[in-house]
Amino acid sequence: MAQVTRRSALLLAGGALAAPRIADAQAQARTLRFVPQANLSNIDPVWSTAVVVRNHGLMIYDTLYGLGSNFRPRPQMAAGHEVSDDGRRWVISLRSGLRFHDGAPVTARDCVASIQRWAKRDVLGQRLDALMDGIAALDDTRFEIRLKKPWPGLAFALGKPSANICAIMPERVARTDPFTQITDYTGSGPFRFRQDLFRPGDRMIYERFEGYVPRSEAVDFLAGGKQAHFDRVEWIVMPDPSTASAALQNNEVDWWETPLPDLLPLLRRNRDIQTELVNTAGNLGVLRFNFLHPPFDNPAIRRAVLPAVDQRAFMNAAIGTDPALSTVPAGVFTPGTPLANDEGLSVLSGPRDLEAARRALREAGYRGERVVMLSATDLPVLQNLAEVAADLLRRIGFNVDLQAMDWGTHIQRRTNRGTVDAGGWSAFCTTWEGLDVSVPGSHMPIRGNGANAWAGWPTLPRLEELREAWFEAPDLAAEQAIAREIQRLVWQEVPFVPLGQVLPLMAHRRSITGVVKGGPALFWGVRRT
Amino acid sequence: MFAYIVRRILATIPVMAIVALFVFSLLYIAPGDPAAVIAGDQATPADVERIRASLGLDRPYLVRFGAWLWDILRGDLGTSIFTNLPVATMIQQRIEPTLSLMIVTLILAVSIAVPMGVVAAWRQGTWVDRAVMGFAVLGFSVPVFVVGYVLAYVFALELDWLPVQGYTPFSRGFGPWIENLILPAVALGSVYIALIARITRATMLEVLQQDYIRTAKAKGVGQRSILFMHALKNAAVPIVTVIGIGIALLIGGAVVTESVFAIPGLGRLTVDAILRRDYPVIQGVVLLFSFIYVLVNLAIDLAYTLFDPRIRY
Repeated sequence: MAQVTRRSALLLAGGALAAPRIADAQAQARTLRFVPQANLSNIDPVWSTAVVVRNHGLMIYDTLYGLGSNFRPRPQMAAGHEVSDDGRRWVISLRSGLRFHDGAPVTARDCVASIQRWAKRDVLGQRLDALMDGIAALDDTRFEIRLKKPWPGLAFALGKPSANICAIMPERVARTDPFTQITDYTGSGPFRFRQDLFRPGDRMIYERFEGYVPRSEAVDFLAGGKQAHFDRVEWIVMPDPSTASAALQNNEVDWWETPLPDLLPLLRRNRDIQTELVNTAGNLGVLRFNFLHPPFDNPAIRRAVLPAVDQRAFMNAAIGTDPALSTVPAGVFTPGTPLANDEGLSVLSGPRDLEAARRALREAGYRGERVVMLSATDLPVLQNLAEVAADLLRRIGFNVDLQAMDWGTHIQRRTNRGTVDAGGWSAFCTTWEGLDVSVPGSHMPIRGNGANAWAGWPTLPRLEELREAWFEAPDLAAEQAIAREIQRLVWQEVPFVPLGQVLPLMAHRRSITGVVKGGPALFWGVRRT
Repeated sequence: MFAYIVRRILATIPVMAIVALFVFSLLYIAPGDPAAVIAGDQATPADVERIRASLGLDRPYLVRFGAWLWDILRGDLGTSIFTNLPVATMIQQRIEPTLSLMIVTLILAVSIAVPMGVVAAWRQGTWVDRAVMGFAVLGFSVPVFVVGYVLAYVFALELDWLPVQGYTPFSRGFGPWIENLILPAVALGSVYIALIARITRATMLEVLQQDYIRTAKAKGVGQRSILFMHALKNAAVPIVTVIGIGIALLIGGAVVTESVFAIPGLGRLTVDAILRRDYPVIQGVVLLFSFIYVLVNLAIDLAYTLFDPRIRY
């Protein structure tokens, strides 16, 4: 039930003013006011990889498959699929009643065009693009994908929740060049985006799409029946955490996606507010090395860092000392997901030994080269991770130059492949969405494809082979065996160091119930009681 | 006078041209790449290049500057790289909250600070004077965001008199509009009040020593009339100058205030655009701010003639 504050009570008592206020209060009861993690700066979830854009995409677009809370794919827009020709031909059929927000039925041709556009941009999509021998609509409700070789993970790829999602758009929209933003936001999901009310940096308005037909099963993360219980969802952008905190306490908003850890004790003291772990996959902290230049072009030097890495120290700095807000030890894959394992994990979970790290560094032949560590000061978690990493490297014996900059500059600096004297870098810290690094296919830090790899550009053919093997793994047991081997190899080659799993809580008014757990804030299943 | 106004307005053209060149060049050499931000971590260098090309960022400096200038001359501020919305639309969406905040702050500040300064000068050396000057020092010393948080805590969270954040357009009624602006205006105005009060006091002290004030007293003119009719009018020129200069202070302060009170104004638009390297938006907003500042200066120059008949253009 919406609360009546002293201010609203005073205003309600204001005679002539009362009627519109009551109407406002009724509308408010049917409106969910949400503070997203960041401003929605653009609205094409295929064009952009930003997490907030993905979250927006999940609201207004549906996907052919959706992951359940066990992180396995289940049909969503798809009614099902048949695999034939030794796994090289998939025929996917659509369930009936699917409609776009303009009322037009969702057809197989729309799905084909959407997959083709997505396949040019997403990492798993690109894999599909390379494997695809053809894709075509068979009729209005069925389409086939022909592959050059079997890919059991196709359904996972089409339902992957991490950016970029394979959003199903009308064919006319999906024909847009994948490197150009779409301008028509006709969606297929449970909420309709009000483009006419779009005020970037301020608020985004979504309305329940009455024509959406949810699946009949119970909701299960991104799968099952996506029942929208609010007529309207307003995303209200608040760049200042203290303001968002005060607004939540004052009942001016209902739900805050990313409360600052420092403010959690304050929020917890408020009996009308509940904090809870929604994104169980969280984010994985990562210390990344540049393989192109000394000193981290030397694997022995990269390995020398491991005995001294204290994941708890990194997590304490990133999200605070409450152990419920992070998981250590964390290996290569997101803790709590099917491929997480303990292969060689003692390298990070055993007793920390700074002296061993110093000794290993000396033996590896470090010659005092300058280590440029990039730090993004406008993102507190990343800045804190960088500060701890810089301190750690200094204590081991590295000559560290910690360079502070804003995120925009950080992103660009990371693309510089030159030496540190030419504007290049040696190491940086970041976080990856837990959903991204839960499987080898979308796990960018383990890529070893040289010039095309993620910033740091390691050339590690064996890791690439293992990733390729994962795509063809016939079952979960095979996937898990590959994941163990990948983790073992990571401790040898050290393309990155996992720093722990960050588990940020969300905060909402206690009257908000049914928040779907597993990943980002989702708006189906949620209701006001 | 009319010819002077026309000359001054024409003089804004070269000023704006220099600002345009400066802003464009600064952004060109500044680090950061919107294409890399858009492409994300999964992108290959070829992907980033394709995005850069689709945004026209791969073209040489002079070509880009020429195209942008040509668009500006045709009244087109361009399109945001990220939102795909015309910059003019984004400015239009954001200008009302910022103008509202500035106007309310200005009215609040002038209506409080000028009487404070006058009274402090009149009661020089007394506790009233010391209290006013103490307030002025406090106003200067405490950052706007601290004042903002304290006000929000007391008047919104504790007393529940006013909302914590947000902005309601004027079209939805004066009450909701002003309700959202009171706390931000007080927070932003605290520095401004301090500045104007100090200048008013200092200028009034000087004027109150003048012979004609002594003559007015000798003629038995009332205290209030001496202060506000005789002295204040003659002290107005420096006060108006400071009020004008303070507009720049307001623009700067609005960035912080809009963030603290989640007001979707031009200040936040500017900061967001800078962080993302949304070049067309940054260029458009900075041009607008400089144009406003030039106009404010013109208005101040013209206001001098109202307070001092000796000034003629």
